[in-house]
Amino acid sequence: MQGIVNKEKMVIQGMVDKKKRGFLFEMKRNYPYYLMMLPAIIILFVFAYLPMPGIIIAFQDFNFVDKFKSPFVGLDNFKFYFTSSYAFRTTFNTIFINLNYLFWTTLVSLLFAILLNEIRLKFAKKLYQNLMFLPFFLSAVVVGKFVTELVFSDHNGVANQIVKLFGHEPIVWSQTAGPWAWIIIGAHVWQAAGYSSIVYLATITGIDDHLFEAASLDGANRWQQIRLILLPLLTPMIIIMCLLSIGGMLRGDFGTIYSIIGDNGLLFKHTDVIDTYVFRAIKGAADFGTTAAVGLYQSVVGFILVYGSNALVKKYDKDSALF
Amino acid sequence: MIQRSLSDKVMQVLIHFILLAFGLTCVYPFILTFMASISSEKSILDYGYQLIPKEFSLLAYELVFKDEFIYSGYTVSIFVTVAGTAMSLLICGMAGYAMSIKRVKYRNAVAIYFYLTMVFGAGLLPWYLVCTQFLHLQNTVLALILPGLVSPFNVFLMRNYFASIPSELIESAEIDGCGVMRTFVQIIIPLSLPIMATITLFIGLAYWNDWASALWFIDNPDLYPLQYMLFRIESLMSFVKQYGSMGDMTMPTETFQVATLFVTIGPIIFLYPFIQRYFVKGIMIGAVKG
Repeated sequence: MQGIVNKEKMVIQGMVDKKKRGFLFEMKRNYPYYLMMLPAIIILFVFAYLPMPGIIIAFQDFNFVDKFKSPFVGLDNFKFYFTSSYAFRTTFNTIFINLNYLFWTTLVSLLFAILLNEIRLKFAKKLYQNLMFLPFFLSAVVVGKFVTELVFSDHNGVANQIVKLFGHEPIVWSQTAGPWAWIIIGAHVWQAAGYSSIVYLATITGIDDHLFEAASLDGANRWQQIRLILLPLLTPMIIIMCLLSIGGMLRGDFGTIYSIIGDNGLLFKHTDVIDTYVFRAIKGAADFGTTAAVGLYQSVVGFILVYGSNALVKKYDKDSALF
Repeated sequence: MIQRSLSDKVMQVLIHFILLAFGLTCVYPFILTFMASISSEKSILDYGYQLIPKEFSLLAYELVFKDEFIYSGYTVSIFVTVAGTAMSLLICGMAGYAMSIKRVKYRNAVAIYFYLTMVFGAGLLPWYLVCTQFLHLQNTVLALILPGLVSPFNVFLMRNYFASIPSELIESAEIDGCGVMRTFVQIIIPLSLPIMATITLFIGLAYWNDWASALWFIDNPDLYPLQYMLFRIESLMSFVKQYGSMGDMTMPTETFQVATLFVTIGPIIFLYPFIQRYFVKGIMIGAVKG
């Protein structure tokens, strides 16, 4: 009898413990796992959380003597940026280039995926895929050198050879601002098309062949099959891919753009994006207050975009949501 | 046998033509780079970059291999890629594994901590100030490794994969007296080799191709990684010019640039056939989310 009571007492005690199991108990029990997380937690803390207090620079007239105790100026830094011509130019260029990235990459890679799927020769399909995928492996610098040295250099480039072939005067590309946004967009599509068509091709391969067989028995030709079966089935994937990249709309593609344009101010008009503007401001140790304000503006709008687009993806297809 | 109509055949030819044309534009710069690098400087100045060299010369390569920056560039890049990839894989893998264990109470809180960094950042300036004023990363190799070390995306990718491993396996290892870290290294990693290989290659390629870190933090040419050396090639050439060993000859600047470019992309061309299928697989794992 005594034994049973004791046992009951222990059980009750155990239940109480379970409720009281706090932080220290958990640490004692699972400390090896927390130790395993620790390096990643520390590194993220240093590189992602430690900069957060630095946001106050956006509201200060920052100088290196007072540092974070610099005088507060309210929203003056934001006012300065948004009333300058830079605000519209950099925001417009960022969104313009990103939207074109999205549109053309989707269009071209979708086309290639559909065309690849039509090919009957196995080795040819493999060959084209391998060729197309190659640019994905290149760094932005190499792509930049291809663009600025091989194709669009003022004297020896292929573009000017073609221009001369048609009997025109060679173009001084390094001083002609107009085409560079499109050159950047072209370079990106060239690099991303093969990579992105892999995603679409995999979706196409996953479609049940019976659908196409049934359609062709009913007399649908290949084009009708693509239009009425393939494209509707690909639509969810296309929508998800687009929504996900909406989240990054305000993040300029710094790597490709800076490696192509560099510090050539003559070309900034159509190619200067928020990220290149901020980079120059930081490296030139220019007005830090304004620079921080621009960074904060980018972060906040970027956050809203990521959050919003992800909410839409979630509504559309729960499994594809980023978080 | 299905009869193929004439229009069908025409269509096939057209499709092959479009895909082949684009495929060729993808290899064209590689071939052009190589051909230009073995041309003489004079033929490039006269005719521009040509697919078939008008005049053959290996002078550019002689200079490139005499130039110390290519060696230091390779050394830095290889070191950063190997060390960075190994550390990143270990740190992200450990975090992902710990977060996949269900009885770890605060794993979701940690997940939120990771995930917040994916959606909101303080902006470039505060980040730059932390790196330079607080960590003093300027002109250190660490500047090329540390900032990219932890990718929350990779952590989540690995966590999801580890979570699919039956927990009975881990429990039985634990009962047999196997420590947590040993379970991770000897049981979990061998079971996850395919995804680990893919993630390794993705991280490795990112480190190999990274040049922005050097752009932000490195001023000392001896610490330039290969990609950044290529970016700075024009200013580096002035160093080469000072060698003076050229005598009365003009410096082959154009061919020197393309030869350096070719030496930079060499490893990628060489490794491409072996590694590309892992990347295809990786794109499918990350499917959309990449």
